[in-house]
Amino acid sequence: MCGIVGFLDKTGNHAGALGCTVLGMLDALGCRGPDSAGVALYGAARDGQLVARVALASGNHFEDSAAKIVGAAEKFGAVTDSSITDCYLRFRITGEACIRQLMDAVESVEPGTEVVSLGRHLEIVKQVGSPENLEATYRVSGFRGTHGIGHTRLSTESRVDLSHSQPFWSHGYPDLAAAHNGHITNYHQLRRRYEQRGIRFYTENDSEIIGMYLAGQLNAGRTLEEAFESMHRDLDGSFSCVVATDSELGFVKDQFALKPLLYAETSDFVAIATEEMALRNALPGDYAVREAQAKESRIWRK
Amino acid sequence: MAEVICCGRSIREINSEIKSRIRGGDQQITVKDPGARHNLAVAILEPAHVTIEGSAGYYCGALADGSTVEVKGSAGWGLAESMLNGTAIVHGSAGNGAGAAIRGGAVIVHGDAAARAAVSMKGGLVLIGGSCGYMAGFMGQKGSLIVCGDTGDAFADSMYATVCYVGGKIKGLGTDTVREDLSSQDVEFLDATLERYLPFEIRKSKPAGKAFKKVVSGRRLWNFSQRDRTIWQEAL
Repeated sequence: MCGIVGFLDKTGNHAGALGCTVLGMLDALGCRGPDSAGVALYGAARDGQLVARVALASGNHFEDSAAKIVGAAEKFGAVTDSSITDCYLRFRITGEACIRQLMDAVESVEPGTEVVSLGRHLEIVKQVGSPENLEATYRVSGFRGTHGIGHTRLSTESRVDLSHSQPFWSHGYPDLAAAHNGHITNYHQLRRRYEQRGIRFYTENDSEIIGMYLAGQLNAGRTLEEAFESMHRDLDGSFSCVVATDSELGFVKDQFALKPLLYAETSDFVAIATEEMALRNALPGDYAVREAQAKESRIWRK
Repeated sequence: MAEVICCGRSIREINSEIKSRIRGGDQQITVKDPGARHNLAVAILEPAHVTIEGSAGYYCGALADGSTVEVKGSAGWGLAESMLNGTAIVHGSAGNGAGAAIRGGAVIVHGDAAARAAVSMKGGLVLIGGSCGYMAGFMGQKGSLIVCGDTGDAFADSMYATVCYVGGKIKGLGTDTVREDLSSQDVEFLDATLERYLPFEIRKSKPAGKAFKKVVSGRRLWNFSQRDRTIWQEAL
């Protein structure tokens, strides 16, 4: 049992606090998963810049680690706006650096360092504990942007730590993030196949495979629609997922409809959540909510 | 008419107040600010009318015996689950398992129902004004399932003796189901039931009783027979 949410602002006026809405939705689902909470939010891009969020290795002096990481990143472009909050280092980097090389360079600075998100718009913040704790540590509610997804986790099969929390960035694919409620039963088989191709997994959480799978499909030139469609063939088990790219928000539900997921669309927004309580908590107004059917998937563009 | 306010209170407090109001003689209860909370108006054993002014979460009106629970918004999973008798009405759409395992009474959804509506129903009526999802009517033992719109895949799979009627398209029939011609009693039953339970504004766009398709169990899974080995393999 986990809780997932997704939100897209359709007004085109992105003055609304995206963070506040996503967090409000997540708050109502805290009881579905008290182990960890996280959000993946999409803000305005700055010309020719990437934004990175890096989880620093625990047990080290964060200031020292951050300085080493910035040093390693500067080989790829000018680093600006670097700041540390709790165990996260955030910075912007100028230039169209090769994402994978930059990620590898940052992560090889110290063992235990993980690039949690990297892209032009995407910023992921996640940690062990409730959505309230997430807000208390990172002040997520002030984040402005176009769309985002979130997750509260009840761990059933792997460790409870920051890395294993969701949403997952599809490491190496800019701006692609996914949050999942369910269980991928052919995870080990798929993982072996990906590892043989040299793809690194950061966790033992079966949900991580979804982002890897989608990145593989998109890299092969398929659209997100096509990737969702083929998930029904390639992934076994139960999955209700919310997925976001730099310009899209979507969901997909497994062929047996084993996990809840519902959505509402108005002229102002699209909202997706595990339970309707999430919508009613964050989004007042008179709008209809509909549970997604088995095998249903939908994608909205910002 | 009594009002019960949900905001800031636990579900136990809300349900206790609904019940104490009914014991005190109130027949009409309005539940305000439901916020799609779970377990609203469960286990009401008196013929009171509870109106939820908004959406309800999981198991709304479940374990009822004689009450009428009306939801002005949508309902989550397990609407009126295991109801013995009474009525549950949802103006919007319903989540998975609407009317699951009911033994009697009527579950009425004006909009769509998600997966496994009327699963294992043991009597009564489940009426979906819109379309239903995957495996509606699965393992139905008795009673009637009426879907005015389209069905999902595996409709009426592995049933005992529930009788199903579909006004729209059947996307796919489940294991051991057969289509049967409507009798004049079926048409009468459909017309009377739609008229009784669906308001005119909803009913006017629905097909007439005679346009429905009837689906019942093929009865080949009721008892094991070596002859039916293949159908068992498919079902399991």
